[in-house]
Amino acid sequence: MEKLLARRSVRLVALAVFAVVLVVAPLVSSPFINYQLALIAVFAVALLGVNIVMGYTGQVSLGQSAFLGLGAYIAAYGVKNGWPLLLVLVLCAVLPAAVGMLVALAAARLRGLALAMITIALPIIGIPLARRFSDFTGGSGGATVSFMKAPDWSGLANDQWRYYVVLVIAVVAFLLARNLVRGRVGRAFAIVKENEAVALAMGVSPYRYKVLAFTIASLLGGVAGFSYLVVVQFTSPETLSFFTSINLVAAMVIGGSASIAGTILGAIYFVVVPVLAGAVNSARTALISGAILLAVLFLLPRGLASLPRRVRQLSARKSHGRTGATAPHNSPDGASSAAPPEIPEIPAANEERQAR
Amino acid sequence: MSLLELENVTASYGHAQALHGVSLSLPENGAIGILGANGAGKTTTLRAISGMLKTTGRILFEGKDIAGLGPDRVARLGIAHVPEGRGTLPQLSVRDNLLVGAYQRKDRKQIAADIDYCLDLFPNLRERIKSNAAALSGGEQQMLAVARAVMARPRVMLLDEASLGLAPSTARRVYEAVVRLRREAQLSMVVVEQNAVLAFSVVDHATVLETGKVALAGDKAELMGMDAVRRAYLGG
Amino acid sequence: MRNFHKTTRVTGAVAVLGISALLVTGCTRADTSGTGTGASAGAAEASPGITDDSLSLGISSPLSGPTAGPGSCSVAGLYTYLEAKNAAGGFEFGDGKTRTVKLTYLDDVYDPAKAVSNFRQLEGDGIFAYVGALGTPTNAAVMPVANEEKVPQVLLVTGATTFSKDQKTNPWTFGLLPTYFDEGAAFGKLLADAGKAVTVATLAQNDDYGKDYLAGFQSAIEGSDVKVVGSATYEPSDTTLDSQVTELAATKADTLLSAVSVTPLQVGVLTRAQDIGWLPRIFLPSNTSTPATVIEPGQGTAYPALYSTSLTKVPVSPAFADDEEVKAYNAAFEKYGSKITTTYTPHCAWSYAEGAILEQAFKGMTDPTRDSFMTALHSITGFHAPLLLDGITVDTTATDKPAIQGIQLVQYNGKGYAPASKY
Repeated sequence: MEKLLARRSVRLVALAVFAVVLVVAPLVSSPFINYQLALIAVFAVALLGVNIVMGYTGQVSLGQSAFLGLGAYIAAYGVKNGWPLLLVLVLCAVLPAAVGMLVALAAARLRGLALAMITIALPIIGIPLARRFSDFTGGSGGATVSFMKAPDWSGLANDQWRYYVVLVIAVVAFLLARNLVRGRVGRAFAIVKENEAVALAMGVSPYRYKVLAFTIASLLGGVAGFSYLVVVQFTSPETLSFFTSINLVAAMVIGGSASIAGTILGAIYFVVVPVLAGAVNSARTALISGAILLAVLFLLPRGLASLPRRVRQLSARKSHGRTGATAPHNSPDGASSAAPPEIPEIPAANEERQAR
Repeated sequence: MSLLELENVTASYGHAQALHGVSLSLPENGAIGILGANGAGKTTTLRAISGMLKTTGRILFEGKDIAGLGPDRVARLGIAHVPEGRGTLPQLSVRDNLLVGAYQRKDRKQIAADIDYCLDLFPNLRERIKSNAAALSGGEQQMLAVARAVMARPRVMLLDEASLGLAPSTARRVYEAVVRLRREAQLSMVVVEQNAVLAFSVVDHATVLETGKVALAGDKAELMGMDAVRRAYLGG
Repeated sequence: MRNFHKTTRVTGAVAVLGISALLVTGCTRADTSGTGTGASAGAAEASPGITDDSLSLGISSPLSGPTAGPGSCSVAGLYTYLEAKNAAGGFEFGDGKTRTVKLTYLDDVYDPAKAVSNFRQLEGDGIFAYVGALGTPTNAAVMPVANEEKVPQVLLVTGATTFSKDQKTNPWTFGLLPTYFDEGAAFGKLLADAGKAVTVATLAQNDDYGKDYLAGFQSAIEGSDVKVVGSATYEPSDTTLDSQVTELAATKADTLLSAVSVTPLQVGVLTRAQDIGWLPRIFLPSNTSTPATVIEPGQGTAYPALYSTSLTKVPVSPAFADDEEVKAYNAAFEKYGSKITTTYTPHCAWSYAEGAILEQAFKGMTDPTRDSFMTALHSITGFHAPLLLDGITVDTTATDKPAIQGIQLVQYNGKGYAPASKY
């Protein structure tokens, strides 16, 4: 019990420190660092969607970039036409969610490769559409917008203000998602992921929950698209790039599947590793990023989120010999030893008869 | 009135018809067995009840026809299916598996009490409460499957070949618990078994299927007295 | 219930990362240069990135991914020119000082968000100017930031009209290369000047790039006997253009304007048309006309004529082997640029010439400021940059045009390109 309390207070302190860092960091950092931090917040939300579909519900989704791009284009269109930003944000959530739901209604009956193919098709169809409907999207040259400037009263620079905006969006998204995955819906996702037959037996319709997971993921993708536009102030067909989807999936695995902390770590990985690789050698970024990916997967197959546990495991293994004390198992409270009364003796049919 | 009643139910897998007009009746607080050889349609009957197959005929549960409802709807009505081959969630702990069973319930306190009851029923599980289901022995997995069904607090439990692949002593332990359940939890049961001795430790009435049709039906004493039944299912 | 999901571990890992990120940033907002707050004092006060003996430039181009070839060359040629000059003593500036010029290059994988990130990073590192970046969407994303921060974003290696046509709105941005519109127009003019009836089929990328090309071509053939008898478009993501070629072949046009920007697809066009027995004269855009990568694999010699446009001498072509400028380029590239890429695309030559244009601007810079640099850069006329073909000169004085004007229409002669004067 003491240990439990200690652990909880450690966690609270860690969370508090994390929160302080999130708030203070942009005040003391360069615009470049703030841009990176803001991008982490952007992609963390997109990644959260991927994790809900793939990590928590066990379905394949290789199309998240399509929803990111859709959100960004809706935001660009809304901003250009002077719509209220709150309305734009809501549309960025609702429209991609609706598109995602429609696709999922058709696709969620499929499994494995067939489902993967459908999700791959989204960015592949989306990019030419984005090029073609240039009145809406700005064509292949993309759409540049200038908005979300820091208001005078804030005394902040634009990069700081934009960081706070996307941070708030990300924090809200994460809190909602955390409650979702820890509640009944999250449990249903887990059952569907583990075994669809069991889900049915438990009264959980796998189809409905898969559609729900895809819809939530698309919604988060669209919201991330809004944040993307806030930070980058530009969107083009490249935002939908299939490689972004693939990299998001890789980042999810790297961070930790079905883990909130892992999602954040994955987003940090997604943004920071290419920068680090570029710092080592700009002409070899792809190679270096790939090597880091492999290294993490070999050392931490369950992702960065498993690092503390892994460290604990290793240190426990070391200290085990010295202390010799292991936690006692929950012992059966005597019930097992006492033979259950008045159960009729059942002949061991197979044993005896077969012997004859 | 019967709790569950099948009237002239047929079911097919694709073009192959597996049930040809099966009728049976489960009274309130009753337990019936379905006996028969491999391929006689025992498992199919359970699958038909839980909505996993397209059927014709009527399946009445508490007087309402549930034929054509999806398996999730049927489960929510209070019919818990313990499938053959168990179907536990291997990556989840024993405890989490039990909680999965209680998925449709919201009475937290009672759920905790029910978990305790299940662990009482299957002391083996108490020892393995934190282990992943994948790490359990076959017998323990079967126990977990039964316990998980209990956690749903169903009206009817459909138990499919619970002794399959288990050592005789283990199978006996499973059935001992089922007997206790029937008595203590007021659970009505449909028990599918190849081993009639085990089945008759629980049920008082049984139906014998042959190639998708009802061949015989009667209570325990009647059936045990018949030579044909003894030869086929009791090894005598 | 609590334990149903293994409680997520928002423990050490996250906090430690956050703290270390904070430590890594180290410096405070007040220390960083280039945020726009510090550079407002006296007029002669030096801009970021320039000292009495050095100046630093930055570039972000795709160095990995599908566009890595041209992207790497857009860095390598410039790097070659700058390093060769540094080794020869440095650049002379208009304020009488001699400086070495350092180039920092970053990879953006043709991703706009990454390009902005790189720009921010370079700006944070204190670059004086952002030069020669390749890519239309990437540069489009950087443009508003550069103009907001008043950082020169100049001599961009892109043919899109966006960057040069409105320098009043975006005074810190302009391009290096003639636009796709100009390329299309140059070819249209060749046909129109032929003074006879010519039928043309067009194949263009379904985006601004293709539209610019066709618009230029259309503007040049207006009122002539040249007639477009068929047109088709494609997506850059297409894997084959066979059906488009078949469709266009049915028109039996004399000439094919093949504004295809993807190298393997352009090769496919050349092989497909001859396979089905259609042998028009073909016009290839400058970025997919390299003999070794397009014409030879596509067996282009089967066609009666292959045209393209060119700005520069081709250093890898034997035709220019004795040219002094080419010799200097090849020697310097071997020494410097080859550590970035060894595969030649025209972008290597373009960005090499870009280095000379920068040198020209430095010469005119009287103050160590970005304003002075922009003024000097916009005052270059009639300058012959090395490797540029005769007749192609640099003129930076117009506020709606890129730096290099004039295009040489060239025709393939079996080995390389030679100037084409008539159809």
